[in-house]
Amino acid sequence: MSKEKVIEAKNLKKVYTIGDTQISAVKDISLEIYKGDFVSIIGKSGSGKSTLMHMVGLLDTPTSGQIFLNGKDVSKLSEKELAKIRNQEIGFVFQAFNLLPRTTVLDNVILPLKYSKVPKQEWESRALEMINLVELGDRVHNKSNELSGGQKQRVAIARALVTNPSMILADEPTGNLDTKTGDEIVELFKRLHKQGRTIVIVTHDDDLAAITERKIELRDGLVV
Amino acid sequence: MLIQESFKTALISLSANKTRTFLTLLGVVIGVFAVVSLVAIGKGAQNYITKEFDALGSNLLFVSPGSGDFAGDPALQLTKNPLEEKHIKLIQNYANEHIVAISPYYVIGETAEYKTKNFFAEITGVNVESIKMFNYNVTQGREFTTVEEKNSSKVAIVGPQIQKELFENVNPLDKLIKIGGDSYKVIGVFEEKGDNYDDQIIVPYTSAENTFKLENYSSIIAKVDSTENVKISMKQVELALLRDLDEESFAVLSQEDILNTIQETLGIVTLGISLIAGISLLVGGIGIMNIMLVSVTERIKEIGLRKALGATPIQIGV
Ligand SMILES: Nc1ncnc2c1ncn2[C@@H]1O[C@H](COP(=O)(O)OP(=O)(O)OP(=O)(O)O)[C@@H](O)[C@H]1O
Ligand SMILES: [Mg+2]
Repeated sequence: MSKEKVIEAKNLKKVYTIGDTQISAVKDISLEIYKGDFVSIIGKSGSGKSTLMHMVGLLDTPTSGQIFLNGKDVSKLSEKELAKIRNQEIGFVFQAFNLLPRTTVLDNVILPLKYSKVPKQEWESRALEMINLVELGDRVHNKSNELSGGQKQRVAIARALVTNPSMILADEPTGNLDTKTGDEIVELFKRLHKQGRTIVIVTHDDDLAAITERKIELRDGLVV
Repeated sequence: MLIQESFKTALISLSANKTRTFLTLLGVVIGVFAVVSLVAIGKGAQNYITKEFDALGSNLLFVSPGSGDFAGDPALQLTKNPLEEKHIKLIQNYANEHIVAISPYYVIGETAEYKTKNFFAEITGVNVESIKMFNYNVTQGREFTTVEEKNSSKVAIVGPQIQKELFENVNPLDKLIKIGGDSYKVIGVFEEKGDNYDDQIIVPYTSAENTFKLENYSSIIAKVDSTENVKISMKQVELALLRDLDEESFAVLSQEDILNTIQETLGIVTLGISLIAGISLLVGGIGIMNIMLVSVTERIKEIGLRKALGATPIQIGV
């Protein structure tokens, strides 16, 4: 079965410099993600999972190494092209949610649509569909800072899904959820996977890792 | 275009955070207002004092008991007050080259009564010459005479404020007012001169001595013929008085000296207050900057998020 390579990362390194000290968060990682893949990235806290995800999601640039997206070297893409890919191809669920404060659930979920080609009339119905999917129909008009941690996490997932991206990168999507709600999210990802989407999840949750097709374990910035 | 966009964004942000904008504005306005008004009050006080002093007349010399500075026991200076008639004679005999007028000067705070009304006035005891020397302009009635001065006649020239407080619509001339147990006849009213003078009642110094049982002058005041001669005259007066007094027990001051001292003191006070206000403004400013910084930092995070969700730099700008 020949699969399309969506992401190919070669010898990625990320060094954070704070004053005189240098932290090698990602030391030398190469990986390939294929279309329709369902991959989990596991590893201890501080092993570089989030850092790797940010680079793969085009949110951060590697110190050295290359990333190819659909065969194209992303370092050669313009800022405008990158913005388009972030908006249409990638749905990112942040570990820290990163919702806009003092802004309603609905507006938070609509936000990515504002930067897309989706016509304005469809924004609200699309957003509501995703909010219902994560079962927050009764919190549509609440401000994001009025939500519990788990609810925020679900808003973040709804926001990542709303542009209907071909690839979903989720950093600890069940980290703040109880088992029941967590299971529902697990079911959601399963469904999304069946729809043929490419999904990469960082997780500590064994249940979630168990349903993925492939596990990548990191330790101290390297793949084990 | 970029500047226009920035202004638009700034205006939108300002109207989105109305409370914050209002408080910031309030802080700046109060701060600036405080500094400006404090400086203005200081300047105003200086101008006021200069004006009041000019109203007194020009080229005046003041001989006051005590050493003229604030060292030592002030009570001692008062009890040792040595100024009396022979010192005026000394000045007239040995230092009269440039002096055109000289007068003893008494000043006593005392209640003046007319019928049922009373008012706390400044009773000023001087001689005939000093009415001209101090630029009092008697518009109703007349000044007192040398004869009245000699006889310690109980006559008084009242200030416009006294006229208003004690007599209202009644013509004050020839009315009797009670001061310190004696009845004084009002013989004149002088024209408005300034806040510090309008509540005065001018009486012959001999009458004041008589009524209040006074022996030593509050001070001696002399007028010098021209500004250039003030310095010389001061020296001459000092030498004349040293014939009888030691240098510790009196001081000769010119109008300018006194004015300068007051101006200097006021200047320092104003500067000090302005400095404090300035510091407060600075601290307030830092507070405002802090708030601004917080909102900017917040915005940085927001911009980062919007970019992560696919906003292009141009879309961020709008
Ligand atoms: N912005 C940053 N500046 C400096 N150092 C950073 C930064 N982000 C992460 N690091 C460091 O890089 C290392 C890897 O961090 P990372 O967030 O990738 O870990 P993680 O595997 O996601 O951990 P967790 O499971 O706790 O989320 C850590 O040692 C961290 O301190
Ligand atoms: Mg992490």
